[in-house]
Formats: sequence, structure tokens, C-alpha cells
Amino acid sequence: MLLEVRDLHVEFRTRDGVAKAVNGVDYGVDAGETLAVLGESGSGKSVTAQAIMGILDIPPGRITGGEILFQGKDLLKLKEEERRKVRGAEMAMIFQDALSSLNPVLSVGDQLGEMFVVHRGMSKKDARAKAVELMDRVRIPGAKERVKQYPHQFSGGMRQRIMIAMALALEPALIIADEPTTALDVTVQAQVMDLLAELQREYNMGLILITHDLGVVADVADRIAVMYAGRIVESAPVHDIYKAPAHPYTRGLLDSIPRLDQKGQELYAIKGLPPNLMNIPPGCAFNPRCPMAQDVCRTDVPPLYDVSEDRDSACHFWRECLNG
Amino acid sequence: MAEHQEPILEVSGLVKHYPLTTGILFKKQVGAVKAVDGVDFTLNRGETLGIVGESGCGKSTVAKMLVNLERPTAGEIRFKGEDISKLSGKALKSVRRNIQMVFQDPYTSLNPRMTVGDIIGEPYDIHPEVAPKGDRRRKVQDLLDVVGLNPEYINRYPHQFSGGQRQRIGIARGLALRPEVIVADEPVSALDVSVQAQVINLMAGLQDEFELSYLFIAHDLSIVRHISDRVGVMYLGRIVEIGKDAEIYDHPTHPYTQALLSAVPVPDPEAREHRERIILAGDVPSPTNIPSGCRFRTRCWKAQERCELEVPALAVPAEFRHVTGPAAHDSACHFAEEKQVVPSEEPQEPQDPEGKSNGPG
Repeated sequence: MLLEVRDLHVEFRTRDGVAKAVNGVDYGVDAGETLAVLGESGSGKSVTAQAIMGILDIPPGRITGGEILFQGKDLLKLKEEERRKVRGAEMAMIFQDALSSLNPVLSVGDQLGEMFVVHRGMSKKDARAKAVELMDRVRIPGAKERVKQYPHQFSGGMRQRIMIAMALALEPALIIADEPTTALDVTVQAQVMDLLAELQREYNMGLILITHDLGVVADVADRIAVMYAGRIVESAPVHDIYKAPAHPYTRGLLDSIPRLDQKGQELYAIKGLPPNLMNIPPGCAFNPRCPMAQDVCRTDVPPLYDVSEDRDSACHFWRECLNG
Repeated sequence: MAEHQEPILEVSGLVKHYPLTTGILFKKQVGAVKAVDGVDFTLNRGETLGIVGESGCGKSTVAKMLVNLERPTAGEIRFKGEDISKLSGKALKSVRRNIQMVFQDPYTSLNPRMTVGDIIGEPYDIHPEVAPKGDRRRKVQDLLDVVGLNPEYINRYPHQFSGGQRQRIGIARGLALRPEVIVADEPVSALDVSVQAQVINLMAGLQDEFELSYLFIAHDLSIVRHISDRVGVMYLGRIVEIGKDAEIYDHPTHPYTQALLSAVPVPDPEAREHRERIILAGDVPSPTNIPSGCRFRTRCWKAQERCELEVPALAVPAEFRHVTGPAAHDSACHFAEEKQVVPSEEPQEPQDPEGKSNGPG
């Protein structure tokens, strides 16, 4: 395993109380593998990623338990200085909104080159040459001229390519992409996803793709981890999960999306709302919205049951769910 | 849905250009952002017309002109036969009552300092003839009930609601004056998947209940297919293809529609391998500098000299003029040809009725 997250807990102290954002997340990703982390807003998918990258706001955030093993070492035990060497060089992150993650007053060449100056001790001139090379790599036309331009002079898709170039700069072993295409139009989204998948294959990187889009997941992922209220509720190879979900939340999500190839009558809608993280229901967090909930779901937190060798579900009734 | 096909809203030659000027004292126009550049469509009573397109294609500007938040540069918007784009004063006010809007962002479209009751009831201040003063509170509570919110929440503020609930408030406000047409601009794109479905179902239910006609604008093609009877595809300020939902989704003839549809991820990993994807090169051209002839030609893989010289009209293409069938619908392309890009619904494998799944158990 390239990266393994074990029983991670993160909470945020706020004025109104403690919000339990991540409550025991386990997942792993191998080199060359794409893991999709699927969840709605507030499910803890981005917070987990921030904890892995070491960019969580502490305080108000606090990691209260668990391990993050990256190439065998526990990142949470490293000093900030050592952590900084890992970040960027060995793992990198692509954010959703490229415009606000790029510095508007520095040219893209300076921002790309900075990686090499800081981590590799290159001269400014060499770094600039590297920046041009990278921009070529992510297929930005006229890289030589455009390297001097500023982020606002690029279109949304181009900016996202620059983000990808920046993440790839030091050829990290792991990339975390947090909703990399959500802000883009569909035709551009397809270009960017294709590029990302191609580069991942080429460098044999592990990719954690955080998204809420079940379509994107079906297109690129090898495995899926579905998150709800700070836990993984189901984790499985991509084909299995779409064929027969083993958790009622996954089933609800799949049933509630309109399909391009079908004209349905009424959409299935999961009733109610995601829980307040300051007041997660006892037992299974999904029980108030679950059509299959029984008494045991209101009292006992379901463990991750083994559905098959490479598949888990946190539902007491996963067998019934699997059988529809 | 609408068998009698009575047009309620007819748009023809609609244009909106925003001038670009230089100079401070003596402004000189040097160009224009051609946000909407000649749009025609008809919305029939009781039907939903979906408008899809990428950002910058002008779909939201069309919406704004329909509800009179923007004045068209040219063209007509006829509501029940009357051109509303040139009305003013009393006549305009009474027409506006009948065309209401639901906005995209439920976080910024509700005033945070007003209670929900005030927000939903505000239309009654402008059109007091709809609800006499003493009656308003009850009317607002009825509306809350209609959109699936607890009527006792009338004194709460927007921040006390979730995104989906806020969008319900926005819909309730849109319904307050009992309009005949609702223009919904990306009404669910800010919402989570599970909540999206709730709001879409609500909108579909309300349409039947109040006999509404919807103009539904979105960039998500799956959602538009789900809710629409007819769909128009916009590119750079124009409609390039329009037709019934099956005509557009299953028998598209315009290359842009085909590319757009093929780019949409389908939530089915099995489709990954045997799906053709058309990946367009480059970005949408700037609306200040629209290509000559066919505006899609700079990204089109079929473009020829004719496309540069001649603007294709939005009509049934010559190839399909003498055939009947789903491919014969309006498409603005010189080289229109049918191409199926969405995996067809015909089951490729025998469907097992009770999940014969691969897991143990």
C-alpha cells in the first residue's frame, strides 16, 4: 500500500460545540490505482484529504486519533519540517477552484518554477525552463509565451491544467484531487479528466479522487469509498458497487441521479437531510434517513462488515441490501 | 404532456449585446459582448423547455430578459401574443406577475435579514391585488406547506435552513403570485445529489398542481433530460439544436450536441469501454469575437469552407426534410447527420428482476 489511512478521527471545536467531521476513516490506495472518495458536502471527504496532506487548519481542527501511513511511515508522527518535505515532493494536491488556489499577482511560470527553486534548489532560469516543459506536458498551447502570463489570462480549463502541472512538478507518488473538474464545463471536464488519467498511468501514481459526481467516478475509478457523516459506509471495486450496492446510502445515491440515457418518471429521493456533525445520531448515522432501518440500527454502530475479499459495508443489513 | 400545444411564450430574434467602450468623457463603442445573438423558441402551456449549454453561452442572459431583468437589444418576447419587451409601467407590472424566476444560488438569492415569511410574502407588497393584507400570512403558510416546509417556520431566517430547504423557499417565492411561467436558472446545481432529487420531484409535482410552464436552464444534461419535454442546446449566444427530449438525446444531428452528450459521464462503469467520446479541442471562443459563418466551426471536426462563409439556419436540415422520424428536427448545421452518442436504453444483457448479484449472501 502506498497510502493507508487507519481509523482517522478529526474534530473541529467551534463556538457551538465540537463538530465530529471524521469518525474513524480507513482507506488505502496503491501505486497506479485510482480511489474515488464519494460523498456529499459535510461527509468529511475533504477534511480527510486535508489531514493526509497536512494542511488541516489546527486549530480549530484537531486530529484526535488514527494513523496515516505513507510509504510505511506515519505522517502524523513527523515533525512539521519533515512533513513539508513530503508535501509537494511526494504527495501533491489539486484543488477544485484553480482561480482561488493560484496566486493572482505572480505569473504562472513563477508559481510553477517555485516548486523547483524551493524543493530542488534550482536557479530561477532553470526553474523557468522546467515550467515551460510542464506546461507543454499538460498541453497548454504556446507554453513559451504564456509562461509569463498571470492566472486571470487563462480560461478555467487551462487554469486547472496549470494546477495539474504544479501537482505533477516533482513527480509525486500520490496525487489527491479534490473535485478537480466540478467547476468546469462538461466538454472541458472531459479534456481535463482524460489528461489526469493519462498522466497518472504514465507516472504510475496513486490517485485519490474526491468527488460527488457518480458519473465521473464510473468513468475513471478503480475503487470507490463512499463516505457519510465522517465514516466510510461502503468500499468496493467500481464495477461491483454500480451493479449491486451493499449499503442503503449508496443505493439511494445511485437511484437519485437522473440518467442521460433514461427518461425516468419520478426520481428516488433520499428523505431528510445529512446529520448535523455536532449531533450525529446514535447507532448508524444514516438510520433516520434509511428505508431499511430497524431497532438495532438506532442503538449499535455498524462495524465494517466484509462483504467479500475486497469489499466492505457498514450496514447491519448489507446482505438484504445487496439482494435489493 | 401538452397535447393542445398552445404557445404561452414566443421568443423571436432575441439579441443582447453589451457594448464595450473606450474613453471616459466621449465614449466610443469599440465592440460588443454578444451574449445572446439571435435566439428563437416557443414555450407551450404546461410544458417544460430545457435550455442547456456551457458557461458563457448566454442561457442565463436569456432567462434575465424573459423576466425583464435585462432589456433586449433587439427581438421580441411575446407572452400570450403580446410583446412584453417594450412594455413599461402598469402593463409591464401586470405581465411580470405571470413570469417568475427561481434563481441558482439559494444562499445569495434570499435576503439574510428578512424572515422567510417576509421573503415569500414580499411579492404581495408589489402586487397587493393578489392577496389582501390580512390574508397574507395564511397564504405564505400555505405556500410553505406546498413546497414541503413546516408552516411554523414562517418567522425563521434563511441561515436556519439547509441549501435544499432554501431552494424550496425560493420556489415558494416564485409561486406566490400564481404565475403561469416559471423561469428556473440552474435551480438545483448548488445542491447535493440526494437533495437535488427532492427538489426536482417537487418542481415536477408543482407543475402538475399549478399548471405551470417551465423554462428550465441548466448545464447538467441528465437533469434537463429528466425534467424537460423539449430541449434546446445553446452555443455562443444561439440555439444550435432544438427538439423533443428523445430527438436531442437519442438522435442528435448537430456536432456540438453530440460532443456535449458524449462528454457527460454516465454513472455506469460498464459503459466506460464501449462508449465513444468526442473530446472537443480548445475552449469556447470569446463572445466579443464570434467566428464567421457557423460559430461552432473553430472546434468542429467536420468544418469545411462552407461553414466559414455561410451561417447555418436553425431549421430541419435538408437531409432530413423529407423523412419523418426523430432525426428530423431543427439543427443549425450544414453537415447535419445523425449519430447516437448516448448508450441506448435497449438492455444489452438480460435484466435480472431480483438482484442476482455477484456478492456472497
